[in-house]
Amino acid sequence: MEKLNIILNINNKPVDVRITPNDTLLEVLRDHLDLTGSKESCGEGVCGSCTVQLDGKPVRSCLTLALEAEGLKVRTVEGLADGDKLSPLQESFVNHGAVQCGFCTPGMLMTADALLQQNTNPDEDTIKKALSGNICRCTGYSKIVEAVAHTAHPDDQCPDCASGIKSCCKTKE
Amino acid sequence: MRLPQFDYKGPDTLEKALDLLSTHAQDAKILAGGTDLLVRMKKGLIAPKTIISLKALNELSYIKKDKNTIRIGARTCLADIIASDSVRKEATALSTACERVGAVTIQHFRGTIGGNILQDNRCFHYNQSAFHRSGRQACHKDGGKICYARDESDRCNSTCQSDGATALMALGAKLVLVSKGNERTVALTDFYTTDGIMPFAMEPTELLKEIIIPVEGGKSSYQRLAYRSAIDYPIVCAGVLLKASAKKDTIEDARIVVGAMGRAPLFLAKESSELKGKSFTDTKAFQKAGNGAMNSASTFAVHNVGSTLEYRCATVSEMVFRALQEAVAEASKA
Repeated sequence: MEKLNIILNINNKPVDVRITPNDTLLEVLRDHLDLTGSKESCGEGVCGSCTVQLDGKPVRSCLTLALEAEGLKVRTVEGLADGDKLSPLQESFVNHGAVQCGFCTPGMLMTADALLQQNTNPDEDTIKKALSGNICRCTGYSKIVEAVAHTAHPDDQCPDCASGIKSCCKTKE
Repeated sequence: MRLPQFDYKGPDTLEKALDLLSTHAQDAKILAGGTDLLVRMKKGLIAPKTIISLKALNELSYIKKDKNTIRIGARTCLADIIASDSVRKEATALSTACERVGAVTIQHFRGTIGGNILQDNRCFHYNQSAFHRSGRQACHKDGGKICYARDESDRCNSTCQSDGATALMALGAKLVLVSKGNERTVALTDFYTTDGIMPFAMEPTELLKEIIIPVEGGKSSYQRLAYRSAIDYPIVCAGVLLKASAKKDTIEDARIVVGAMGRAPLFLAKESSELKGKSFTDTKAFQKAGNGAMNSASTFAVHNVGSTLEYRCATVSEMVFRALQEAVAEASKA
């Protein structure tokens, strides 16, 4: 079968890869480029663990042909941290215990990061809606939502506490 | 899951796409977003030799509003439709329906309105892995002669679970189909065959170019029931369009459509016409319409999309009732 050379822009670096037309973006990231942060779970767009950003928007990489990502900016979970310094969102996930087994985390991070780029101070409903396409089978959603809510204001109250709907921040030390 | 092998074509004009389609018609598939096509390919349900991608065809991505219509390009992604003020105002049902499809992460890039209308019919006996299907005889849709959903049925009973198509049929939408040197417009109500194997009345050389929604001042609503609010197909859904009389207290015209209950969304002409002239406060008439819709839709439904048939049939009336109430609330506001 014919092989093609394409150039993908991954985490702001141009990468030359040799692929076949039936390679998905996820397969190229994991198998060709060793960027194993993005996970394959269901492989049919249900679970969200393969989420990466294309031009800043969260997209299922298991349902995206690598060929279709040519010319777009691909950002994976490996592109969030700056060297050893975690991004504020990653830091918040760690501080709030939002990681259990960790399999859904890369997808959650990429979806939440895309949300925070558009809306720096989202309330709980907005976060839940944005994350509705990502499944966590450890059932740890409340910590994840909390982690996202506190990213912009690590020491401050989240929007729901500030308006008196919840009191998660007041109990925190 | 690996995708089977195929040739990839990425035409950059509509003309080139139609040329390719006319040459490869029998073994080619159109790729818009891929949320339906690539999943079926991964499961080995189809194995097209050629994939014609619409990625470069930006000319098919637009929302145009003029005096009496809204025109939407077939490759417009769902996120653009949700964000459009004119669609939200004039075709509320479509906006709500698009919001319910998949999740936010599917609505941009991957989810397109054309793909949503043309998603293949589903059945939990058919949409399974190759391994699962290898353990029994093939069904009608798989090339065999059995229907597992309805005993002794001589044809495929797969269900159309498109949110977009149900809402658009309620809005009275038309589709523009193009092939090389030809263009035709067909009402969405006439677009379906009664065969679950190939549910759409379109030629393999044809491409869905545009959706035309007439805007005549009616108020619409869409209601759906699914197990999960995100990433799930509807098990019952209903779309409704109401036109108010000049005094804004009675119904001049109505369209009721029920989805996910048959091979195509069902336009219920009898129940719709019975609502004409009824008062906005006549909740008994709405309940009667809901019950009528339940009786009509029940004849078409089979037990093949998740929930039990009894539950799905019982909830049709409530979905229609809620949709009518919401549309009336909107219409009396305006």
